[in-house]
Amino acid sequence: MTASPRVTLSRRRFLSLTGALAAGGLALGATGLWPRWALAEPALARRLLRLGRDIYPHESIEDRYYLASLSPLLEEQRDAVATGLDDLDRRARAAHGSDYAGIEDDAEREVLLQEIQHTPFFAQVKGNLLMGIYNNPDLWPLFGYGGSSWEQGGYRHRGFDATPDWL
Amino acid sequence: MSRQFDLNDDGLVVIIGSGAGGGTLANELAQKGIRSVVLEAGKRFTMEDIENDEWGMFNKISWLDQRNLVGPSRLAEDFPHLPAWIVKGVGGSTIHWAGVAMRFQEHEFKMKTLNGAIPGANVEDWPLSLQDLEPYYALAERKMGVCGTEATGMPFHGKSTHYQVIEAGANRIGARCEQAHLAINTRPFDGRAPCQVTGFCMQGCRFGAKWSTMYTEIPKAEATGNVEVRPNCMALRIEHDRDGKATGVLYVDADGVEQFQKARLVAVAANSIESPRLLLNSASSLFPDGLANSSGQVGKNYMTHVTGGSYAEFDHPVHMERSTVVPGIVKEWDDNDPSRGHVGGYELEALHLGLPFMAAFLDPGAANGWGRQFARSMENYSRMAGFWICGEDLALETNRITLHPTERDPYGLPVPVVHKADHDNDTRMRNHAYRMSKELFTAIGAHHVNDLPPYPASHNMGTNRMHANARDGVVNQWGQSHDIDNLFISDGSQFTSSGTENPTLTIVALTIRQAEYIAERMTRGEL
Repeated sequence: MTASPRVTLSRRRFLSLTGALAAGGLALGATGLWPRWALAEPALARRLLRLGRDIYPHESIEDRYYLASLSPLLEEQRDAVATGLDDLDRRARAAHGSDYAGIEDDAEREVLLQEIQHTPFFAQVKGNLLMGIYNNPDLWPLFGYGGSSWEQGGYRHRGFDATPDWL
Repeated sequence: MSRQFDLNDDGLVVIIGSGAGGGTLANELAQKGIRSVVLEAGKRFTMEDIENDEWGMFNKISWLDQRNLVGPSRLAEDFPHLPAWIVKGVGGSTIHWAGVAMRFQEHEFKMKTLNGAIPGANVEDWPLSLQDLEPYYALAERKMGVCGTEATGMPFHGKSTHYQVIEAGANRIGARCEQAHLAINTRPFDGRAPCQVTGFCMQGCRFGAKWSTMYTEIPKAEATGNVEVRPNCMALRIEHDRDGKATGVLYVDADGVEQFQKARLVAVAANSIESPRLLLNSASSLFPDGLANSSGQVGKNYMTHVTGGSYAEFDHPVHMERSTVVPGIVKEWDDNDPSRGHVGGYELEALHLGLPFMAAFLDPGAANGWGRQFARSMENYSRMAGFWICGEDLALETNRITLHPTERDPYGLPVPVVHKADHDNDTRMRNHAYRMSKELFTAIGAHHVNDLPPYPASHNMGTNRMHANARDGVVNQWGQSHDIDNLFISDGSQFTSSGTENPTLTIVALTIRQAEYIAERMTRGEL
């Protein structure tokens, strides 16, 4: 049995999908698909984006998916989120003399996050992103995950027993 | 549809739970003309409720009532209120099980004889042997439609890509690897469809190809007119008369009203946390430590299997999710060989998670599982293959279910507290399994292998264990309590030891045997 086309989704294909998505995003304007709260408070949105992209850094995923994941949290607990970000910035300035988002070295930002990874703030941001990024059917093709399959009759006749050519 | 029985009918068997034990017992008794009422805490689902959606189904069908998990373990840190990942609904955890249906091995019935007393553990022999159970294993395999068995003649599923990758690794290091015996049809069987390989066995089988009491035993039992299933009914306590004989079950019905159902015999099949909890909650002046607890063993010896995960990342596509969830098993280390540094065996079960669950379980816990390395691993999802480790978990008296002294659930019942810690043997076994998995995957080119810690237990056993002596166990070899003749345990809490095999087939085999025993004793007027 032959593999279906998606079987061959490679790193290169992953990145080319990235390009396609980024181009689409640019055509709509960088913030065109941002949620309402993010358009209203773009500075807050950008600080959260830096944090979100450090928690789950996927170059190929557009900003709007990170922001949309956090919409429920922003709607319910905007002040707690702002306080959490302020705390992170304070730590960043103490350690590096710059706001968190201004630190250029990925590893230095990651060390700062390790300091706050046991806080409820971090857990809430991470928990919302976990669902918004990895439990989001729109993004599953980027990861090569097929999602629900019963509507297509499963994989019984769609290559479940394809022989890997690399073994 | 269910026939309705009167609350005052004292000729009925009352079964608590409708999963592998309770659902099977109801049907086995019904086929022999014995009438029963099944009290099920959860609701009744339909096939249309079953979706290929990991979180959607988790939220829909899981048992999420308050439970506290304590003990020195990462599981308790990561999941302080979710010790077990099991189902609340008609059909119980047979809705969610992966379908792995293996017989215990002969030595697993006599772990104490084989290994002697193990310090820090409470290991005992079963009061029955593999020979005693073999005919019932065959009946269970036939009932459930287990592929790859003589009982059904159904072929295996064929080698999925995920299986082929693992088989290649096993061959490379000389480890025995076999396709899994699954209670999942490979051809039309018992009025149910063959497997379509959706890859979502653990979210419920949309096609009904996997055996579940939800759509096999329960409707068959109801069709006899001998069984009434009452969904959304939570058992509160089992009552008894002054001679200590069980008289019925107090429960809260679907409308929130307390009812008392009289019974000739009570069978508890509510899984290994709720079953002992119910016996403990039924304490009375005659039985101050809980029903059937003269041994003091009710709630103790809680076993879950020694588990963990090993997921390897390759440079090439695997697409492990295009497979039955468990396509095959590496059995090289399923024997009892203390020279490995641990007693008891383990199996490496090829098992995939979907992307949403992989994200949650790769490095679980509120503070874990993030950052660049994590994201790189997730981007390799389609190039992953992996195992769920499933090994013999030793009985420990200190691993146990108790009742919280102050916290109450919405029914007013004390919240169950689950204490679970590793014995050194468990830790050594898990580490051995991580090491062998890594060796297997590296042999075929894995560039990174992730060791996953245990996640909430779907195999829960031992908390009302069988023993030949009333002093050392709760029930005899038929699951009948030593203390109360007409009180039976019909789920995995009967297990004296865990074995390395997934428990469902053994639960069903024991239940078929138990139903025979109950029917005989009833016919003779002894019950």
